[in-house]
Amino acid sequence: MLNSLFDASVWTSLAAATVAAISSILFLRSRNFLYDSLALAVTEIGLILLAAGIVAGAIAGRLTGHLWWTWDARLTTALVGFLIYAPYLMLRRAVEEPTRRAASAAVVSIFALFDLPIMALAIYWWLARRTAPAPIGVEWTILPVAALGAALAWIRFRKEQDRRSQDAERRTAQEI
Amino acid sequence: MKFLRQVATVAAKDLRAELRTKEAINASLAFALMILLLFSYTFDPEQEMMRQISGGLLWIVFAFAGTLTLNRSFARELPNDCLDALIAAPIPGSALFLGKCCASFVLVLAVELVSLPVFGIFYRVHWTGQFPWLFLILLLGTWALTIIGTIFSALTVNIKLREVMLPMLTYPILMPALMSAMRLTTSLVNGQPIPDDDFAWLKMLIGFDVVFTAVSLALIETVLVG
Repeated sequence: MLNSLFDASVWTSLAAATVAAISSILFLRSRNFLYDSLALAVTEIGLILLAAGIVAGAIAGRLTGHLWWTWDARLTTALVGFLIYAPYLMLRRAVEEPTRRAASAAVVSIFALFDLPIMALAIYWWLARRTAPAPIGVEWTILPVAALGAALAWIRFRKEQDRRSQDAERRTAQEI
Repeated sequence: MKFLRQVATVAAKDLRAELRTKEAINASLAFALMILLLFSYTFDPEQEMMRQISGGLLWIVFAFAGTLTLNRSFARELPNDCLDALIAAPIPGSALFLGKCCASFVLVLAVELVSLPVFGIFYRVHWTGQFPWLFLILLLGTWALTIIGTIFSALTVNIKLREVMLPMLTYPILMPALMSAMRLTTSLVNGQPIPDDDFAWLKMLIGFDVVFTAVSLALIETVLVG
């Protein structure tokens, strides 16, 4: 159960990473901040789900093998994926100017997506000698987890849009 | 041809500035030697285990010392608004980027080539036995480090948390390249040829270099101009 929750969160955050990179490319081409909000929302929710998935995976390992962390390829890949995407959010906080922030974040998102398959393959090779890695499975849990992720991302996206329109109104009010 | 000349001009400018001030290379070299020394307190240099982890240790030194150089790559241009002048210069952004990459590449490689004999003396590894292969891995691994480091150096140059953000962004993305370089270096610094199984890692390292050089060149205008 916990293991299948881990699998589901990995697939969902992988989908989130893909959506984030696509909307980042769309942002860079169109300079429409709608895409930037979308990229931010899915990355944030994807990271939260992935973190929850890693915790679930560690607990599952503890329950079955009495070890929290066994360096199995799936958990390690998920953790490195988390570390790749976490600076995305930190970078957004560090850049103040909105266009600059969105463009920098988009670049990081695109780099991260290109890195994911290479990284997963490298970790698979590295750990394959020690234990035969189990493939990441697809089970029924993926439906509720993906639905939850999509709902949360939608809420986050709407909130971000609201915040931005408020910001814009405040700025116009100040100008007047 | 014109493009290559522009790249060479930027690289020569950076190298000349670095050779006159020596601000990055001195720090980088001192830092590399310091970590090499510190390792001897963590691991017993006499033990056989040292041979099995030598590649990993070396690349940790290279990656950490390299970031010091890469941090300066674009930060050097901040005083007197040199960066704005460079971006406004009549050369494509990709030429500016590749020029800076080449300069950093030479500097990082120089630090590595100095640390390598020191590492060999301190830890008694016979790194000279397979030097041509080792040099190839150094070239490929260092190119991966400089290309990722330079593009993120350009990306973070204008933000306050620059020194913090650069390693945070660089190391996770760089991880596959570092893993291949570590794996390949471990057998080479012990004087053994690359095992047949490990040629896949060499391909991965080359693939990493090609993919990220292409992605960086495609995105560099966005990074520089915003």
